[in-house]
Amino acid sequence: MVCLLPVFLNGFNFQETVLVKRSLESFFGIGPKVSQGLLAKFHIHPWAKIGSLKNATVMDLTAELSNMKIENDLRREVQDNIRRLKDMGTYRGRRHAMGLPVRGQRTRTQITTARRLNKIERGGQGRVQL
Amino acid sequence: MFPTRALCSRSVWKGPNIVPLPIKRAKPGERVPPIKTQARSATILPNFVGLKFQIHDGKNYQNITITEDMVGHKLGEFAPTRKNFTYKQTKNK
Repeated sequence: MVCLLPVFLNGFNFQETVLVKRSLESFFGIGPKVSQGLLAKFHIHPWAKIGSLKNATVMDLTAELSNMKIENDLRREVQDNIRRLKDMGTYRGRRHAMGLPVRGQRTRTQITTARRLNKIERGGQGRVQL
Repeated sequence: MFPTRALCSRSVWKGPNIVPLPIKRAKPGERVPPIKTQARSATILPNFVGLKFQIHDGKNYQNITITEDMVGHKLGEFAPTRKNFTYKQTKNK
């Protein structure tokens, strides 16, 4: 394997030497549990690399991923849920807008996580294709 | 994989907090006064939609009109109890 051919999965390309599990988990909305399920569904070894997949398997995976709610669809859903709370005028929505803890945690110290994550546009602008 | 996980949540088996509130249906051509209540923990039921409530925030009663989205939440979620700190200049030094 001298030249590393990129393999396309759901519109994003990955190098051949990357683990399939790892490349699946790079999508927003797929974690250890879901990727484990996907690998089992398509009979892929847990330590299999992207390069070792057959073309048909890659196509199957892409088809499966395109039917799942991942990446920007999921981000939009999360943001819509937060915006609904905000528009209703709930306490939770207000805390999101202020960037403070939502579930009654202390605010005297240790609110850096909330500062970073709690906002109306949670999840950011989406993934950039490199 | 775990279909019962959603049913395991505490609020499912506990059920909604139903508080007896003096709800009157509006007759045509008649205005119903808002329902004044301190029961902030009362769950908003589907038959509250469109009613006006005055919810206690610890000091005052705040006017809230219930919309369809609010069903399932508690009354207290819509009446904040905390006030942001603002500096007030003292006049007499």
